[in-house]
This record gives sequence, C-alpha cells and structure tokens, in this order.
Amino acid sequence: MVSAARATGVDGPLFKRALLGSLSWLAANHEEVNRLNVFPVPDGDTGTNMLLTLQSAVEDVRESNAAEVSKIAKLASHGSLMGARGNSGVILSQIFRGFARAVEGKTSLTPAELAAALEEAANAAYRAVNKPTEGTILTVAREAGRAAATAASGPDATVPRVIAAAAAGARAAVLKTPSQLQILRDAGVVDAGGFGLELILEGMLKSVEESDSALAALSEARKPVSPAAQVALDLPEGGWGYCTEFLIEGSNLDTELIRGQIESLGNSVLVVGEPELVKVHVHTDDPTRVINLAGGYGKLMKLSVGDMSTQHRRILDSEGAAGTAKASRANGVGMVAVVAGRGMVEIFRGLGVDAIIEGGQTMNPSTQDMLTAIESLPYDEVILLPNNGNVIAAAKQVVGLTKKKVHVVETHSMPQGVSAVVAFRPERPAAENLKAMRAEAERVQTIEVTHAVRDTRSNGLRVRKGDVIGLINDRLEFAGGDYAEVVHKALSKLGPDSYELVTVYRGEQASDAELARLESEIRTSYPGLEVEVQQGGQHHYPFILSVE
Amino acid sequence: MTRTFAVVTDSTADLPREWQGRYGIEVVPLKVLFGKETFRDGVDMTNEQFFRRLAAATSLPTTSAPSPGEFAEVYRRLAKDHDGCISIHLGAQLSATVEAARVGAQAVEGFRVNVIDSQTVSMPVAFLCRVAAEAESLEAATAAVEQRVPKTRVLALLDTLRYLEMGGRLSRAQALIGTMLDLKPLLLVADAEIKPVDRVRTRSRAIPRMIEYFKGDLPVEHMAVMHAQAADEAEQIATALRKDLADGEVTVGQIGSVLGTHTGPKALGIVYIKA
Repeated sequence: MVSAARATGVDGPLFKRALLGSLSWLAANHEEVNRLNVFPVPDGDTGTNMLLTLQSAVEDVRESNAAEVSKIAKLASHGSLMGARGNSGVILSQIFRGFARAVEGKTSLTPAELAAALEEAANAAYRAVNKPTEGTILTVAREAGRAAATAASGPDATVPRVIAAAAAGARAAVLKTPSQLQILRDAGVVDAGGFGLELILEGMLKSVEESDSALAALSEARKPVSPAAQVALDLPEGGWGYCTEFLIEGSNLDTELIRGQIESLGNSVLVVGEPELVKVHVHTDDPTRVINLAGGYGKLMKLSVGDMSTQHRRILDSEGAAGTAKASRANGVGMVAVVAGRGMVEIFRGLGVDAIIEGGQTMNPSTQDMLTAIESLPYDEVILLPNNGNVIAAAKQVVGLTKKKVHVVETHSMPQGVSAVVAFRPERPAAENLKAMRAEAERVQTIEVTHAVRDTRSNGLRVRKGDVIGLINDRLEFAGGDYAEVVHKALSKLGPDSYELVTVYRGEQASDAELARLESEIRTSYPGLEVEVQQGGQHHYPFILSVE
Repeated sequence: MTRTFAVVTDSTADLPREWQGRYGIEVVPLKVLFGKETFRDGVDMTNEQFFRRLAAATSLPTTSAPSPGEFAEVYRRLAKDHDGCISIHLGAQLSATVEAARVGAQAVEGFRVNVIDSQTVSMPVAFLCRVAAEAESLEAATAAVEQRVPKTRVLALLDTLRYLEMGGRLSRAQALIGTMLDLKPLLLVADAEIKPVDRVRTRSRAIPRMIEYFKGDLPVEHMAVMHAQAADEAEQIATALRKDLADGEVTVGQIGSVLGTHTGPKALGIVYIKA
C-alpha cells in the first residue's frame, strides 16, 4: 500500500484514502481547534465548522470507487460547498474547489502535479475572498502549496514527501500567524482555521504513509500548538455581527454581481460557486436584508444565521415542548424560550413558558429547533424569547417559516427573558403583552460572570486565562481574581442607587462558599439592594445576575 | 341612639376605632394563635405588637373565626335594646366567620339578624357597615349593603406570597406565580374570588401598577389605602391618589393581626367600593 503510493502517484483511491484520513485526524483534534477563540468567553466553533465541512466533502467520496483522482476531487469539491459552515469552512470548500479544477481530467497525479494542484487550491481560496488577510487559513494554504512545490522539485520527490512538506509548511505558517495579525497577538493564540488546515494535511499524510520518518518527526513535533483562534478575515473593530450562510440555486448566477451587492451589507464576504449554485457567507448586522437580496437571484438553501464565535448544537427539550399541552390560555398566545441551565428551565416553566429549547450560551439552537418547538404548541400565536444575542437572528428567521403568527421579543440574556415573561398576562392580547414584555426586558441589566478561557486583550482590558471576567449586557467590562470582586465592580459601574433588586442565578460551577462570599459582598457593599438567590444551573457562567 | 337596629362586623373589617362609637358598630374579634397562645384580634394585642411577634416567630401563627357561640352571645346582648341586626362579615371564600355568624344568629330566637357575606375583607367591610349604620331601617340597610357587595374591591400588593400560601388562601399557581422567583403578586379580591392582576419583580414597580389599576376603576364611592407596617408607602400612595378623587378624602388604615397573618408584613392595599 505504501509503495503503491510512491510508484503510481495520487489516483482516485489514494486521494479518497487521504481524505478519509484527514477527516479522522481532524475529528480527533477538532476540539483543540474549538477550544478557544479571540473573544475569551467559553465558546468556539472553528474546529466543528471545519469538521462538518470536511464531513460533507467526504460524504459522497465514501460511496465512490472512482479510479480517477479528478472524480474524487470533484465530489469533495461539491460536497464541501454544500456543507460549508463558518468562515474557515467556506474557505476550505474553495481550497477543494481549486484543487478539483487543477486536477480536472486527470487519473493520477505525479508529485509535481500534486504540488501544483495544492498551489492552485490556495490561489482559488485567495480569489474567493473579498479582502484576503494574511495570518489566516489563506496564508497557511499558500505556504503549504509553496513547501509542496519546493519538495516536488527535488530529485527524489515522492507523494508522501510532497504531502509531508505541505503539512510542515502549514505548521510553520500557523506558528507565524500571531506575528501577522494583531488580534491573534493580543489574544495570544494562533489562527484556528489555519490550524485546522494543518490538521487536514497531517491527516492526509498519516493515511498515505504511516511509516514515513518525516511523518514520525512531524507527529512528535505536533504538541498541542498554542490555543487556536477563529479570526474573521476583515473583522471590523467592535462588531461580530451575524454569520449568515446559504446557497443560492439558480441559473446564470453572477458571483461577481452578487458579491458586490452583499459586500454593501456586511463584511467577511465570500461569494463562491458555479452559475447554478452559489455559496454565500457574510457577517452582517442585518441578515434579513441579505436573505431578501439573495432570494431575488434564486432558491435559497441551507440557510443558517448564527454567531461566528459560538457553537451550534441544539437540544430540544422534549418535556418542555410537550405536544400534549392544552390550549388553555385565554388570549390564545403561547410562549417559547431558549434557556440554558436546569434551574433556569424550571424558572421559565414556572412562569408559564410552554416550550423550552435548551441552549443558548455555547449551544445556539437552530431556526429549525425553534420552529419545531413552536409547531408543537396548541397555540396559533406564539411569543419567542431567544434569551441570547446570538440566537436572535435565527429566532427571527422562524417568523417567515410557519403559518403561525410568531413574535420575537429580542431578549439578549436570560434575566431579560425572565423580566419579559413576568410581564406576560394570559388574559391580555398579544400586542399588549409584547409591548409590556419588551419594555420590561429593556429595564433589566444583566451581569454575567465567567472565566477567561485564555489570555487576551479586549475592550482595553488585559485578561489572563482563568481570570474571572464580568460582562455587563454582553460587553466584557471587568477582570479580576474572584467572583465577588468582579461583581462588586460591575454593580458599582451600573450605579446601585438606581436599582432595587439583584437576582443571583447560580451556575452549576459555583460552590456554596463562592455563593456565600458573593452574597455577603453585595449585601455589605450595597446595603440598599435586595438580594435574591436562585439556582440557575447554567454551564460556563458561575453567576448570572439580573439587576433591576 | 335613634337607630333601632344594630350593626355588627368582625375584626377583619379594619374598622377605624372611632367609628365604633361614632356609628355604633359592634366588632367581634377573630383570633390569632401563636402556638398554644390565643389572642383576640385587635383586643389583646396591638397591630405593632403583632407584627413584631410575627417577624420573630419561628413558625407562622394561625387564625380562627369566632365561634357561633361567640356570635350568639353578641346577638343576645344586642337583642335587649335593638329590634334587629345587620351582621356584615369577611367573605366566605376567605373565612368561616360568616358561617359562624349565621349559625350563631339561628341560636338567638326572636331576634332578626341579617347576615351579609361581604365577599371582601378589610375596610370595604367597614364602609359597608357605615352605609348600614346611616340607613333608616334594617331593610334599607340590608338593601344598601347588598347592592354594594358586588362593587367591593381589594387591590393588594403583597411583599411575598409566602403568608397567603401558608395560610392556604391561595396557591402559587392561582397567583400565576408557579416559580421559585420571589415575585410581588398584585391581587384583586372581587366577586367572591382572589384573582391575580399582575406579577411584578420589584416593589417600586408594583406600586405604580396598583395605582394605575385603581385609576382604571374610578369613580369610587369609598376608598382607603391599607398597609401592614408600611405606613410611609401607604402615605405616598394616598398623596398620589388625592388629586384624582372628587372629595380628596383618602383614609390610610392599618391591616389587623388576622388579616396580617395572611398578607405578611409590608403588604399594601387600595381598597374601595366602586360608585
């Protein structure tokens, strides 16, 4: 098997094996890619997005026995485009596309042809991106291609050596990314997408030449690299926006024209594909406008709107979404909420929410999850509470997808959600309830307390991994040694004289002693505030406080 | 006294003390039980003493209605110099008092007692008593009171639902508060029921809601602001309401011990009879 690769170059079966190898290696290591991102709150998704993209690329390849490398490459290209998720996933799909173009019509690749295809793959990726940024997966792809070309020009070039060189080139490039991007340097991380690509090349190498000494050396060296980070390609200061992705199916689609229009609505724009199928990726503050615009070109498929820095996994709370519920409410209005934490679920249920979708903080439910919950209710009119800034866009998508009348109260946090639900009156019509709920949600201030998942600088703060950080209304404001200190600062910033009640939602990580200390800190420092403690049970955030 | 019929109520009417003499109204006390100690509401203990003791109590006190015998005793005494009696009591949905009065009345032969279920509690009952006391005959008094019973309202803001819940008067679900959260329930006693009006997270937000709701019920014939150890807030509410009332008269009164056992401290109420 090993010698076959050397003798015949890269044919269909070998490329298939390489792809499967890269999939298993990325699958084994994607959490390392996920672990951290530039924003130091506990969530992340680059590894998962790349893995899902690669899975989609390999899906059809698995079924194919094609002898020609060109056929396998084409399947991978198509599959990755259909399944691309996130910025890095989209670029990965373009790398596959460039590779497939370069090997078109070929049965097998010589080492030199392989290197040339890798270089062309990188070029295709550069072309697909509106404003290429160095220090990202693009740079890593290019350096991998260059290293492959150098290795291929040598007298004893073999396929495994070319791939080994590409992987080594990728690794060197990954390690250099912090010197190219300020945001990585500040955060003290390497680029996550680039690291993901490195893993893919390493996985290919493992599968084509297990015994090669070059690989052994490489594996040895590949200690967990410094934390990886997802970096948006041309991320503006301050804004992350909503990551909006979809496919347009149509005819004579003009990618240039579409890209030009999408660019005016957001950044990190990627518009790639064929005249019949175009993949769009954009970070925008107004996903609806993007979707409306794109809808004019053809049929939209695989629409997803989410936050680029969060993980997209959902669990539908089956108990909460009980289809057995009876429509007993006088106003005929149901309520659905996205909630994280067992205690929080109980609180929302107790307040009269009919269906709960678990998730929010690190698991953003999809539009589909929310739709399912809404459809399960015996009410034709439903109020939906996303309870997380990253869920709002997906929640708004639901409105157009069901015959039911859906109203989204744009709650950015669970405390906002609680306040909104408290204002709900079962005998009052929806319009009045919405007005009251929105007003109440805006009244409450949210303090979230968690640990920085790694060193970073953000909002003028220097944060070290493990530091307690405090966010006020989703904005990182304070870092410190313990919860009580950070909460003290946050309350002081809000101005405790303007408020009356602090509700402390205790997360699952918080100990009794930590809770006692936090409570006594608030009571001692701010005697004018009433303190109420609730078991929130949320993950990742030891304390969430509502101040009103 | 020219009036030939007597007017009787119970201690939960929160009847201002001076009305007893001025209008000749008889008050039968309910009882508060701290463990084995029994106190007659408004007789053996002042409201201040009661709430101090309530705050310190390790277990909540219980309350009990007067016995039929106690009512019979009062009616028998009144029968000596009256030719009839109207006996107005707190709502049957809240207490057995009105039943005890009926049974007690039957025990006194030859004396007519019109027992009225006011369907309400606190000062609206006192207002009904005043209306009765000012009537020319027992028939007229009874008609005037019965006509006003459906118009009585008690709008109550509780600082916590704990006391009402412990007393078995209202479940969290009935109060629309099926949650662990310490919400401030705004309740309405009307039409022989306790209904939730609103639930609010903080007291300072709840008070304007209560005022707003009350204003929606204007005009009123009689009204008062009641409180349990929350005199300052009650005064603020009264001040806020005076300009909205034709005669500008707002009585501020204290909730008695028996009612206080169920509302808990810091309860506030706007109580009234709709015009």
